[in-house]
Amino acid sequence: MIRRRRETAMDLRLYWKKLKTFWKTLSLQRQMMENLIIAKARQDALQRKMEERRLRLQEEANRRFATCGTMTPEEQEQRVLYASVLEYEQDHEWPKIWKAKLKKSPNDPALVSGLIACLLSYPDHPVMKLLKRLQYRPSRSAHSLLLSDCPISPHHQQSPFKSALTHSLSDASISLSPSRDLNANDTKSEADPDDSSSLLTTDRENSFEDLEKFLTQLDWVPSHSGDDDDTDPDVTFESQIHDLEERALKEHLKAIVKDIHNAIDRLLSLCLLSFECLNTANSKDQCVASMEEVFFTPIWRPLLALFRKVHGEREQAVESSMHLYHHVSPGDVGVASKLFPRDLAVLHGSYPYESAVQELKLLCREYCPQKKLECIVRTLRIICGCAEDYRLLQENDPPPRSAAIGADDLLPILAFVALRSEMPQLVSECAALEEFIHEGYLIGEEGYCLTSLQSALTYVESMLPSGAPPPAPKPT
Amino acid sequence: MAAAGGKTYSFKVVLLGEGCVGKTSLVLRYCENKFNDKHITTLQASFLTKKLNITGKRVNLAIWDTAGQERFHALGPIYYRDSNGAILVYDVTDEDSFQKVKNWVKELRKMLGNEICLCIVGNKIDLEKERHVSVEEAEGYAESVGAKHYHTSAKLNKGIEELFLDLCKRMMETAQLEERSRGNGASNSSTGRRGVQIVDDEPQAAVPAGGCCTSG
Repeated sequence: MIRRRRETAMDLRLYWKKLKTFWKTLSLQRQMMENLIIAKARQDALQRKMEERRLRLQEEANRRFATCGTMTPEEQEQRVLYASVLEYEQDHEWPKIWKAKLKKSPNDPALVSGLIACLLSYPDHPVMKLLKRLQYRPSRSAHSLLLSDCPISPHHQQSPFKSALTHSLSDASISLSPSRDLNANDTKSEADPDDSSSLLTTDRENSFEDLEKFLTQLDWVPSHSGDDDDTDPDVTFESQIHDLEERALKEHLKAIVKDIHNAIDRLLSLCLLSFECLNTANSKDQCVASMEEVFFTPIWRPLLALFRKVHGEREQAVESSMHLYHHVSPGDVGVASKLFPRDLAVLHGSYPYESAVQELKLLCREYCPQKKLECIVRTLRIICGCAEDYRLLQENDPPPRSAAIGADDLLPILAFVALRSEMPQLVSECAALEEFIHEGYLIGEEGYCLTSLQSALTYVESMLPSGAPPPAPKPT
Repeated sequence: MAAAGGKTYSFKVVLLGEGCVGKTSLVLRYCENKFNDKHITTLQASFLTKKLNITGKRVNLAIWDTAGQERFHALGPIYYRDSNGAILVYDVTDEDSFQKVKNWVKELRKMLGNEICLCIVGNKIDLEKERHVSVEEAEGYAESVGAKHYHTSAKLNKGIEELFLDLCKRMMETAQLEERSRGNGASNSSTGRRGVQIVDDEPQAAVPAGGCCTSG
């Protein structure tokens, strides 16, 4: 009995203990629940505050732009971007620090470049985010227009675009011969799957529009629609397709160039909005230069490839000239005899103007238009320097001042240097540079040098036997 | 130096003429004269710049030399585009060089219309005795094509300063007319690739293409 009672007592104690722990857990759980609710409420409040702040900043941004009643989509976008800049600045200290620094000494170029470098190093700043976003577009459309890494041969040149066009054709329910369509699919599947899909998604509308435009201009459509079993390869049809492709490609390139100009404008304006202290002529120039360098570096290759595709024929002509006339003497391209040494021994194994040729070759190693232009300017300066030296080798007395190098002397030398460079892609590089050179530089030294190089290349192109007669120095 | 107008005009001037008419000497004379000899650009006489102050307005001139040889003629147009002025030089002792000037005038008018200010320049008047192009003929022709005619001697430094000053004034008038017809305000940013660039005055406004007169 006693034993039993003791047992029950022990049971009771055990139960009591269990109950107590249960109670404890329960209250703990309740507390946790409460905490959770509090946390949730706090989070909500925080979120509300964040939202309020966002709205407030948006309003602030709106006020800043509230100069005119109607708003274009661009302005709207800019408001949103500016709001995100304000938000960023509330969370980060560095913009304030730099602004304060620049306020103290506003025109210090070292500070300006410091700020720009700093900005470029923060990928989460809205300016940099915009840059990435804007960069993506032209590079993707350029990529999609190119077949992975094909060289510029006319055959390859056609394929990616043909597939796009043929696809648009079939979409427009104008049935071409099915075999052609299959071919198109073949070339497509050979290509990088990623590329081809983006080709279809991003460029379908464009090429489709282009196509519609062309279809109205050409009258072969009605005769071919519904003419499915016409298996004869139609020569004129092929050439028309080729023309279409060429024109569409040019249109695309134009659109991409315009896109890039817009992108840089937008970047610059957001940059100046974020840092008003940069809004002086000098700082702005510095800002554009840095932005462009970052912007162009990753996209120059695909961009140039596109330019090369468009200028393929010219490049081929220049290439043949370079091949044919690679070892001519400067005199053969019309360089005045006083401007190169007759006795090559004085050059110690090199050839005349080699330093200029070497400089020009560096052009392709740069990926930013401004840097490339500087390279061209340096090339021309070296030419002038060499010409001066060579003349001094021949005439012992100092040359009269009036004998300075003018365009009459410069262009033949430049043609010679271009020939020796053996870089037919200069044609496309120059065409691209012409699009991206700053307006301010257009009539300056950079513009002059670019124009001269283009002229020299056109001359080199015309040297081919089938073209203009071979160079013959004109007696003057 | 303080410009009252608060504007800086940038003008592009192309220099055309056959090989030995002396266009290089002419432009060198002009750009060197006021400064010392060392002020030739690193591009020597091919590309020269000069800063001027005319009636309180600042003017930046960029002078583009072109190749006179026949085989480079096809390449001319890319040099002329966006030019505000052209100086067409012939040698008064060389009838043929005057004929070449006529060809260029035709091409320039075709390409750039009436907006470009043309100067036809008879150089080497120090060789008056050997003159082969008569004054009447040259001046008559210039008038008939809406150009102005000048006589210069690079050797004696005659008539050059006047030529450039006159050209600058004419280009400024043309630019002002154009500004007015376009309406103020609409002229900024959206001008595209125009030759005249009017830069709003800022303290030490950055002129991208190098500093003083002939530096490069």
